[in-house]
Formats: sequence, structure tokens, C-alpha cells
Amino acid sequence: MQKFTRRYIETAARILFFAAACVCVLCVALICVYLLASALPTIAKIGPLAFLGGSRWHPSAGEFGIFPMMIGSLYVTAGAVAFGVPVGLLTAVYLARFAKRRTAKVLRPLVSLMAGLPSILYGFFGLVVLVPLLRNLFGAGKSVLTASLLLGIMILPTIISVSESALRAVPAQHYEGALALGASHERSVFFVVLPAARSGVMASIVLGIGRAVGETMAVIMVAGNQATLPKSIVSGVRTMTANIVLEMGYATDLHREALIATAAVLFVFILLINLLLSLLRGRNA
Amino acid sequence: MKKFLSIMATAVVLLTATSCAKGGGDSIYVIRREESAGTHSAFIELCGIESKDENGNNTDNTLDAAEVTKDTSVMLISVAGDPNAIGYVSLGSFNDSVKALEIDGVAPSVAAIREGSYTLARPFNIVTNGTLAPEAQAFVEFIRSEEGQAVVEAQGYVPLETPQPAAEAGNLSGTVKVNGSSSVTPLMERLAEAFAAKHGQVQIDVSQSDSTMGVADVRNGRCDIGMASRALKESEAGPGVLETQIATDGIAVIVCKENPRTQLTKEQVRKIYTGETTAWAELG
Repeated sequence: MQKFTRRYIETAARILFFAAACVCVLCVALICVYLLASALPTIAKIGPLAFLGGSRWHPSAGEFGIFPMMIGSLYVTAGAVAFGVPVGLLTAVYLARFAKRRTAKVLRPLVSLMAGLPSILYGFFGLVVLVPLLRNLFGAGKSVLTASLLLGIMILPTIISVSESALRAVPAQHYEGALALGASHERSVFFVVLPAARSGVMASIVLGIGRAVGETMAVIMVAGNQATLPKSIVSGVRTMTANIVLEMGYATDLHREALIATAAVLFVFILLINLLLSLLRGRNA
Repeated sequence: MKKFLSIMATAVVLLTATSCAKGGGDSIYVIRREESAGTHSAFIELCGIESKDENGNNTDNTLDAAEVTKDTSVMLISVAGDPNAIGYVSLGSFNDSVKALEIDGVAPSVAAIREGSYTLARPFNIVTNGTLAPEAQAFVEFIRSEEGQAVVEAQGYVPLETPQPAAEAGNLSGTVKVNGSSSVTPLMERLAEAFAAKHGQVQIDVSQSDSTMGVADVRNGRCDIGMASRALKESEAGPGVLETQIATDGIAVIVCKENPRTQLTKEQVRKIYTGETTAWAELG
């Protein structure tokens, strides 16, 4: 009898947990279906080439080319990686292998604090600190460069924390073996431990890219938001997320559908990034 | 280690190289509001930045290179920090961090708008749909009464020429939802406070979006009163949809305090916003 009750509870619990897991899957599936189902007819209506390859975005004139925004997202994200990855990686190496215990004790909570700051705060910091600073240096305040720099700062905590745990997960034998062969501390860390942790490090970079692509509130305040192809690193730029947020409030009819289609393109971008992430993880296993 | 140092060195070189791409020191940096902002549509209409085609459709000719911002405060901060920037805000939102230009020789002020010499002025409207609940009706009447118009004037806007007497309101209660233009919102909040001081039982929820949203929300019943910082568009008219002017507001054309310029003509503003004039020096 007792055995029976136990099995009953086991099954009930399993169903409960399965249901909880289903909520997640269901949400993703619904978003995916909804976005694609509403975006594909729109893209077909505008014309895939005109929509994805068109460089003019003038909703009131019926021109819906999101190419400048796709390029904008790409530029800004690449810039964020260029700023964020070297700094983040060096910080992670420092925290994992060089910092004194006491220094690390102060640094680590600060990094987690950075991760917890709402993006509107970063945006405000960018607007009142970075924009005037870069204007004095380069002549243009709101630009690809400013947005990249700000996003580079914003992806730091992701890169630092994920890379640091990857570095810590490298078995001690690697490091000790390198020392035994006569390598210095620095050489062992950079040429043995770091390469051994590379899949974790790559994962941190990909996660950072995901955050940079999706960031909206902060970027909208420092990027200028011109819906044109940026001519240089110091001209203004509009990302796909900014395009949606700026115009969703009042868009109607085809304009609204075009914004939903923009969201679908963004979704595909994120899907590709996650695919890359699981490929990297898969190679590690 | 050496490899690492060389990578860092390359990064530094790249950074300094980009500084050579410094933009022209004199080119005008144009900032605009988003398309649906009432301040934007009023501004382009008053300055002749929009043009009508043969079908009667309006085309916005604001240059593509203009920065787009969704927010009056971002506009103010951006202009305050950039000696080459030009922008525009509601006169009521204008503050001392920036400088307002004289337009055709007249500085923006309540007095100048009242006598008609400052021409960048537009109505602040509220929009209603059909018959209002008694508490909403009382609020509308309050706004247009002498008492409400005193608030309008105290906030730096131009009041109506003839305030309307409000009907004696009995015991009121309930919630009035107000949504729309971010330019009208600061004034509406003060008006709501003044009304609440008289009628404690009525709650007035003022939320901010933009003129287009405000009108749309009234039309589909999501709120009782819409705020619009421009006249209704033909496409927004409908049976029962009624616009009522509550004040007149100026649009201030603003530049950074470091900018030596003190005035522009409307034509010069038009040329700047359509991209015909791109440098401050061209203005003479």
C-alpha cells in the first residue's frame, strides 16, 4: 500500500515538473509561431528583397527597407565585442588567476552589481557622460562608436562572470603541469589555462553578443537613431530594436506589420546566435 | 605575452586612427522628435517643412540625417551639450539649460504669442468621444473655467481669451483617464492637482505617450480624455469625436548656450531642417 502511494506521488511530481518545463517551451513556441506567421506574409507583401535589402525606411511613403537597421545592429554589436571582449577577458583572467583574495572580494560583487543595473541607467550615463566626452574627442556625440562603447561596458559582467567560471573549471593539473615544465605563472595562465577554457570563453562572448543585439533602452539614448546607413564610425545609427521601440506606439497597418517583421528578423538573429552557442557547447562536451 | 601586447597596441592605433575621422566643426547637428509627436507635426507644418503632393498627402521633408528622439528631456540634454545642435521643444518645457532663438526677430514668450507676433504657436487640445461621465465633464469644464485657465497661465502657457464658466458640480467620484501628448502632460498634471484639491473623491490618471496615441485611445475607449498638441487630422475625425482647445503653446527653437547665434528666420529654420543648409557659417 505504502509503495503504491509513493509511486503515485512520484508520478504526480513528475507531471508537475513536466508542466512547469512546458510553460517555457510553450512560450518560446508561441512567440516563434506568432512572429513568423505575422511576419512572413508582410515580408512577402513588401518583397523580401525590398524589405531585407532596401536601404530606405520611410513608412509614410511606403518604403520599408530595414537593411540600414540590420547593418546598424551588426556594427554596434561588433563594436561592443571589440571593446567588451578584451577588457572582460583580461578582468576574468585577473580575477581567476592573479587577483589577491581581498581584491577579488571587492571586485566580484561590483561586477555582479554591474550586471544588475537597469539598462536605462546605462543609457543615462551614456547620454550625460559618454556623449559629451566623445563629442569633444571625435566631433560627433551620438554615433556607432558611442553606442558600441556603451554596449561594450554593458556586456562586461556577462563576459567576466562566464569566462571566470570557465577559467576556474580548468583542472589544476594543466596549470601545475605547465609550471613543472618550467613555464612562468603568466605563461601558464595565458598559454595553457586560457586555451583550455576556450569553449567557455567563446560561450561568454556569444552570450555577450546576444545581450548587445537585444539591448534597446540604452542604445536609443546614445545612437542618434537615424534610419540611414552609417557612413562612418562616428555617424548616427539606428538598430533594429530601436526601430521597433521608436515607432511601434503609433504605427498602423503595413507600417505596424513591417515593425513586427523587423522583430522577426531580430528573432532569427538571436536564434542564430543561440545555435552558435550550442554548437560551441556541443564541441566542449 | 608579446602577442597580447601587439594586439593591444593595434587596438590603440585603431582608436587614434578613428579620431582623424573627426566631423566638420561647423556642421549643424539637427535633432527632431519622432513622427507621431504633436510638437513635430506642428513644427513641420508651421515652418513649411512638409509639402503636399497632388493627392493631398503630406510628405515630411525633414532630412534623414536628423537625430530622432522620443523624449523632450533627451532633446534638452542633447542640445544643451552640443554647440552645433539645433532642436525644438514646447515653450512650457523650455528651461535655462538651453537658449531659445528669436524667430523672425521675435523672442518666444507668452505675451508675444498672445499678440500674434511669435508665429511658432499651436493649440493644446483635449479630445473626447461622445457623452462624458459627469466627473470627466466636470474636469473638462474646470480646465476651461477661469480657475483652470489661471493654472494654464501660471505654468507659462497662453490661456484662452474667454474662459467658460463651469456648471456647479455636485458630489463627484470616480476615475478619469487621460492620455496623450508629452507636451501637454506637464500642464495636465497641474490641472489635475488643482481639480483634485476641489474634488477629493475624483481620481485623475494622467499618462503620457504622444498626440496620435492619445487620440487613438479616446476613439477606441481606452481613456476618457485625449491630449493632443496639434489639431486633429482629417483621418482622426469621426462621429462624436470632439476637440476642445485648452491653451496655446509656443514651440521654441533651441540651441546650445555656447552657440553665438540669437535669431533665425522661419525660412532659415526650414532650410536647416530640410538639409539645404548644413553649416552654421552658411547662415551669414
